[in-house]
Amino acid sequence: MWRRLLLLCLVPFAVAAQAHEGMAMDHAAMGGHTSTLGFGAALEPGGRLWVVDAAGQHIRVRHSDDMGRTLSDPVIVNPTPEPIYAEGENRPKIVLGPKGEIYVSWSQPRAKPYTGFVRFSRSLDGGAHFDAPVTVHTDRAEITHRFDSIAVDGKGRVVVAWIDKRDLEAATASNKPYLGAATYYTWSDDRGATFHPEKKITDQSCECCRIALAATPDGNIAAFFRAIYGDNIRDHAYALLQTDSPPVKAQRATFTQWHIEGCPHHGPSLAIAHDGTRHAVWFSAADGKATIWYGQLVPGKAPVHTLEVAGAGAAHADLAVAGTHVWIVYHQQTAEGLSLMLRESTDGGAHFTEAREIARTAGSAGWPQLLLRDGRAFVAWNTTDGFRLVLTELL
Amino acid sequence: MGSGITRTSASFASFVFSLRRDRARVLLFVAGVLFAHSAFAVTPLAADGVKALVAAPAKGERVIALWSLDCAYCEENLTALAKLQREHRDIDLVIVATDSIEQHEAIDARLKQAGLADVPSRAYADATPDRLNYLIDPAWGGETPRTLVIRADGTRQGYSGALDAKRLAKIAL
Repeated sequence: MWRRLLLLCLVPFAVAAQAHEGMAMDHAAMGGHTSTLGFGAALEPGGRLWVVDAAGQHIRVRHSDDMGRTLSDPVIVNPTPEPIYAEGENRPKIVLGPKGEIYVSWSQPRAKPYTGFVRFSRSLDGGAHFDAPVTVHTDRAEITHRFDSIAVDGKGRVVVAWIDKRDLEAATASNKPYLGAATYYTWSDDRGATFHPEKKITDQSCECCRIALAATPDGNIAAFFRAIYGDNIRDHAYALLQTDSPPVKAQRATFTQWHIEGCPHHGPSLAIAHDGTRHAVWFSAADGKATIWYGQLVPGKAPVHTLEVAGAGAAHADLAVAGTHVWIVYHQQTAEGLSLMLRESTDGGAHFTEAREIARTAGSAGWPQLLLRDGRAFVAWNTTDGFRLVLTELL
Repeated sequence: MGSGITRTSASFASFVFSLRRDRARVLLFVAGVLFAHSAFAVTPLAADGVKALVAAPAKGERVIALWSLDCAYCEENLTALAKLQREHRDIDLVIVATDSIEQHEAIDARLKQAGLADVPSRAYADATPDRLNYLIDPAWGGETPRTLVIRADGTRQGYSGALDAKRLAKIAL
């Protein structure tokens, strides 16, 4: 009888041992989220669509010559599998260079929670194959370097920005207070062959919101991201990411006064018109009221032409501009399902149309991404029903 | 992974062998295992389970503590709420991870490590997690930690971010 009792007691221990070892693997593989709907997309001027996402531990790139109706067979970017963050705010990205270069970035979870390395790969042969992935930062501590964003500036330089906890670690080690994480960036002026040692954009910014990057009319890259002011007021900062004359000066650009000692998981979006108008959308739940805001940034001062785009259940807005035409798309969740909504302005953001549903799903979706071609806007949307390019025009 | 289990099993086998000669120690061992099993393991939460989760309690208040594995602020918030619940027994505390139930091992391990294994715990088991967020609390944008307080009279209050002493005191009223 004693033996039987003891054997019964042993079973949970064996299961527990297995569970413990499985835990680290699960976390590394999924990065805290199981969604694999996160994607990035880019449109060539000629009309070829590029889509990047994660399939298990592989980054895959597909293209379409019929505006997303059919996608090519995938080209695997990393033949050697590695863990990949592929959830909403932390998803693979793809941008195109001026000479047909295809640049891809993503964040790779490390073994410990909240950690990651920013990874990069390129194709110089039109996507036939990709170079072996590299880590873009020189700091290799097993800490947060993730939530990467990537852009190409007017001179073809590849700019990568990300959230980085090295300064938090240093402050904690010396018992100094530090809120959130820092934001860093690097750039390559040789088509992604090498990257400069990374530089800091700002200290004490948000740990879990994507960084918006956009080109300025003079060809620089500007960043717009959630930063921390005072006691966990999580508004946004705007900074030009200088590649000639650092240091970078980050200026506060939104003043919603949302206090949250937590992880919003709501990053902003930025698009700069040829006249220099900085169109932006951002999320705030100040006073308990979840709101997507539109405004035109005046770094250092409150934004102008602000508008409440949407309220409860709305999230993950993206924005694009061509001349005086401004498009805003976002997710509107209801009990029935998820709608992809559009609001647009044809007078440079002074007035916007009422919200209009342009697509819906009963399932889930990766965050929508606006793409422009010849002054027309399309929305890349990846739902549980599949990937599609949604028209913004009324037919 | 396999070698780890083998090692663990082997060490327990020798442990068990030594225990066979000491029945008192065996009883203690069994009691320990049974006690450990009184802890809650995370259970799935799908859309059809939300109505019962957010229903007004018969008395006191239900506090739904929403968190995720990737939220560095969440554990301290859960710990603070568990402490509050121990001091105010009319609080019915439920911990809900917005992570998939597929990560139950990581969720249970993290909660156990934080001393929260004795609090009922759920995790998302639904193909539409954003919809689940909305069904639980339409005013919530998915930010974590999120604390939803539902009182016996049906009134609700949501709080985003780690709760400070002032807000905790408000919940305890």
